[in-house]
Amino acid sequence: MPSVQSKLPSHQAAVTPSNMTNKIDHPQLCQWLKLIAVNRDKQAFTAVFKFFAPKIKRIAQSKFNNEAQAAEVVQDTMSNVWRKSHLFDDSKGAATTWVYTIMRNVTFDMLRKVKANKEDNLSDDIWPLAESMNTEEETFTDHIQNRNLKGVIETLPENQQQVVKGFYFLEMSQEQLAEHLNLPLGTVKSRLRLALGKLKIKLGDHHD
Amino acid sequence: MIKHHPKFELLQNFVNGDLPASLSAGIAIHADMCPQCQEKISQLTEQVAEASFEQNFLHKFVVDDEDMAEVAELEFDSIIDEITASDDIESVKIHNEGPSIEFKGSEYVLPKAIRNIELGKTAQIGKLSRARLQLDEGEIHTSLLHIDPGGSVPEHTHNGFELTLLLAGSFTDEQGEYVAGDFIMLDKRHQHHPVSEHGCLCYTVANDSLHFTQGINKLLNPIGSFIY
Ligand SMILES: [Zn+2]
Repeated sequence: MPSVQSKLPSHQAAVTPSNMTNKIDHPQLCQWLKLIAVNRDKQAFTAVFKFFAPKIKRIAQSKFNNEAQAAEVVQDTMSNVWRKSHLFDDSKGAATTWVYTIMRNVTFDMLRKVKANKEDNLSDDIWPLAESMNTEEETFTDHIQNRNLKGVIETLPENQQQVVKGFYFLEMSQEQLAEHLNLPLGTVKSRLRLALGKLKIKLGDHHD
Repeated sequence: MIKHHPKFELLQNFVNGDLPASLSAGIAIHADMCPQCQEKISQLTEQVAEASFEQNFLHKFVVDDEDMAEVAELEFDSIIDEITASDDIESVKIHNEGPSIEFKGSEYVLPKAIRNIELGKTAQIGKLSRARLQLDEGEIHTSLLHIDPGGSVPEHTHNGFELTLLLAGSFTDEQGEYVAGDFIMLDKRHQHHPVSEHGCLCYTVANDSLHFTQGINKLLNPIGSFIY
């Protein structure tokens, strides 16, 4: 996995018509997603948003024929991008494929709600968030069985170690951890997020 | 070896998200068992994603009208603020083995694609057991069908389509033998009479839209409506 560079995302590339070609700048999209995952970089998210949102809206409008529902697809899809960016793995596929999967799944669940009046959100079982998500699960399982992970976790600050160990080894939920460690939920979440970002980079380096 | 696969058009509709949940799940289960179709699906997804997000689509939407572009921009800014205000990240779930279902003393782990779909009570006629998946898709009925060793489905025709996806075990019909993973899509032109020597479990999806207009059929062949 290439390391995350600190190059600032440039809005220009994504939205300025004069720069527009039919080619999608895949490396740029990947880099933005990584910045979101690791740094929770709002500027990178804005760039990703401006690239995808108008197209998602247009596609959703053709499926729903309804402005409000199309806007909901945009919002849900992009909010998933923000929350799941750490699950994106550019060695498993393009950023466009990953975002498409999220958009298709959001749309499918919403159509099912409209047509069958069912809110069972089956899409993530039918189309697991790219192979990336499956592999992520396996990767972590593999690494847990692998003693290396323990070593890597022990390089984290103590307070992050606690959260990571509880989350992965004991399979506690974030809420359970907050209660168990007597911490605000927000603190647990941000520690986990920080730790996850670091682990991802460290484990990524060990990958072949 | 798996010999029966979903047709290309079906895979395409699957990737586009245009199929009902029942058929989408069927294809997902098959693809999990069939690397060939899995590969095709990955390629199709990549292609349709690329096409969906190609830059030239942007021209019409934003650039034609500058005022429109500005309004869109403003609207977008507030959505961006709202989304990034949340600190939530999606948990990485480590999935344990999914729920399972028991038929006549044999336990089967449910395929991933259907592990969260509610199942109805198991009904039985002779060597056949059936549990419905509560998908509420109107005229489309989806079930898990178990055939005990030596059991068979009486000869029947279909009013609409019928998908039989073999999950475990094997059966034979006039066309030959089927193995786990085989994706068998029949329409009303086909007649068949599956027999399972050693028993099997199938995922079935059938559309019986003509069911009610052909009430006499139902009387003569009640087993057809029981199974599918
Ligand atoms: Zn196949």
